[in-house]
Amino acid sequence: MNILSQILEIILNRSVIAAVIVPGVLTALVLVILIIWVERKIAARVQMRIGPLYVTRRLGGILQLVADAIRFLVSEPIVPATTDKLFYVMMPILLLLLSLLPVAVVPASQSLIVIKTEYGLLAFIALAAITPMVIMLAGWASNNKFSYIGGLREGFMLLSYEVYLFMSLLAIAILYGTLDFIRIINSQEGFWGILLNPIAALSFFIAMLTSTSRFPFEIPDAESEIVMGPFTEYNSIMYGLVMGANYFRLYVLSLVFTDVFLGGWLLPFKIPIPNFVITIAKTFIVMIVAVFLRAVYPRYRIDQALVIGWEKLFPLASLSVLISVLLKGVGI
Amino acid sequence: MSSKEKTITIFYGPQHPASGHMRIILEVDGDVVIKADPDIGYVHRGIEKLAEHKTYFQVIPMVERQCLPDAAHHNLAYVLALEELLGIEAPERAQYLRTLLAEINRIASHLYGMGLHGVSIGSSTAYMWCFGLREYMLILAEKLTGARITYSYIIPGGVRRDIPQGFSQDVERYLRLFERKMRDLDKLFISNPVTKARLEGVGVLPKEEAIKLGVVGPVLRASGVEYDVRRVRPYAAYPWIDFEIAVKKEGDSYARLLVRVKEIEESIKIIRQVLKDLPDGSILHERYMKLLPPRLKEYVTNTGLVKFPGVFATMKVPKGEGIGSVEAGRGELIYHLISNGESKPYRLKISTPSFRNLILFSHLIKDVKVADVPAIYLSLDYFPPEADR
Repeated sequence: MNILSQILEIILNRSVIAAVIVPGVLTALVLVILIIWVERKIAARVQMRIGPLYVTRRLGGILQLVADAIRFLVSEPIVPATTDKLFYVMMPILLLLLSLLPVAVVPASQSLIVIKTEYGLLAFIALAAITPMVIMLAGWASNNKFSYIGGLREGFMLLSYEVYLFMSLLAIAILYGTLDFIRIINSQEGFWGILLNPIAALSFFIAMLTSTSRFPFEIPDAESEIVMGPFTEYNSIMYGLVMGANYFRLYVLSLVFTDVFLGGWLLPFKIPIPNFVITIAKTFIVMIVAVFLRAVYPRYRIDQALVIGWEKLFPLASLSVLISVLLKGVGI
Repeated sequence: MSSKEKTITIFYGPQHPASGHMRIILEVDGDVVIKADPDIGYVHRGIEKLAEHKTYFQVIPMVERQCLPDAAHHNLAYVLALEELLGIEAPERAQYLRTLLAEINRIASHLYGMGLHGVSIGSSTAYMWCFGLREYMLILAEKLTGARITYSYIIPGGVRRDIPQGFSQDVERYLRLFERKMRDLDKLFISNPVTKARLEGVGVLPKEEAIKLGVVGPVLRASGVEYDVRRVRPYAAYPWIDFEIAVKKEGDSYARLLVRVKEIEESIKIIRQVLKDLPDGSILHERYMKLLPPRLKEYVTNTGLVKFPGVFATMKVPKGEGIGSVEAGRGELIYHLISNGESKPYRLKISTPSFRNLILFSHLIKDVKVADVPAIYLSLDYFPPEADR
């Protein structure tokens, strides 16, 4: 009995629940499957098509992605002979893990957070910065020219977007005088961060699009130019993981966007819904906006994206820091 | 790749998502293309040689198949060459109907190219919308000819069918819908800031160089040369029709896109004019009408459907040479037909616009980013099966 209760204690521990259920693995998985379906449906709607339909026809093909995942699972993984096998096989797994890892410090509600820390923002930045390296390594390990160029592109993009991603978060940290996510959210009571510092929100959102290679910055894996970029040589479940990892990253960044700019679980009115549901719902809306842009924009060229990053968004992010300092100065 | 080499060679195609049935061998330094070498011939079917083993009538459906998005123009050019050999000219009504189909097909062909151009720079919506809009034109062509893509509509001495009842109203309805959707396409794709950023100033072809290299079609007109076969050597009903030639001075990928958009607008104008001015009369040359037995003749005049007497299949064509040149969707298309008096052509030489524009690959794709390769390639509206023949 003693052991059982101990096990139960571990399982029902809030940190474990946060890691496994909300906002961790399970929620991420469900949201990723949903968002891919929503992305395809929205794009289809705009493009005068129907989109996924034949798997669970009555539900509008919502299980299509599950079917795809199963197909990825059962198809034969082929490791090309010319690759660096260890890195080649390791990268998708590493990429998936590292994409989801930053969620450990991001809360979905007051208590649903894996690691409660005062330096949440810093920890998030540190954890989020690892993934692009893995993508570059994946490009290198594939030993394919398209992968190689794709990996280099990822590196270039990294140098550009990381700066304004961090600066917009810096603006928030200055504004609320803390690096703790939960305190940031609690400070937004009644007045969300996006209203206080919209420029920081904008530059963070664009950085989010860039780092998850969403349109119009879908540059590292531009299909008509370099096939699938760093992931050209990947197939079967390895490709499934790589594709999923990208959406996991989108989920984590959207969750952060929700927490720091959209007031997390705070709403201007009271409704009897658990806090984490509100956070996840907001996150999902942010994700929908991000994937909707696929139907609107072509993609930029890499040099143009870098120019946008350094000449437009970097000054913009600096401005957002200035705004935060000024707001702090007048005493909000 | 040894450590001394500064550049890498990329095989852009034939198994590449955006290459089409060809290969471009790119020499790349980092993200900059130093040299591009087009490698064609993957879809060579020997149409010219095959034509020597078929009767003149059997060649008609075959030549269409080398360029499916632009079948009507290949059909028309071949028939013009054949008519020159036969020494006949189609009646006026048939000339107008030929123009009608040619313009419907030109719109479809341009939309095909624009759609692929759109998806090559990442706008999947432009791709879907262009192909959706092209569908209207295919429906109209189907109503007119009975086929969506390979019409075999234009025959020596006339056309195969008269316009069906209520066709003018159908056309007007579809054109209105089409114009409305074109405005949406303009907002979303053509004037999209990202599209402009990607295409403006990319792959610039100056006027002098365009003339020197002998390029044709919208590519030439986008470089500021006002050359259009419809104006220079008018055929079908073009002498009687009023239209403008779309010309742009910039010569970049965006100008080539805009020229196509403008030509679509002009084509719509031409379609409306044709249906307004359509003269009455026969759709087949009287020499062939005379050949028909009386009952078949009655059938042709009543239904507007041309049925050939068997003698056509073994028709002997007088000795000589005939040339048919038209302004196809991709540019000047020339058919040169030589007859030695038999029932099969002695030689058929086809000069296709795609092949004439091929030279631009090595001229335009030089010192550009890898990302510009599809933006330039598909702005040329190059269709490999047409170039390879």
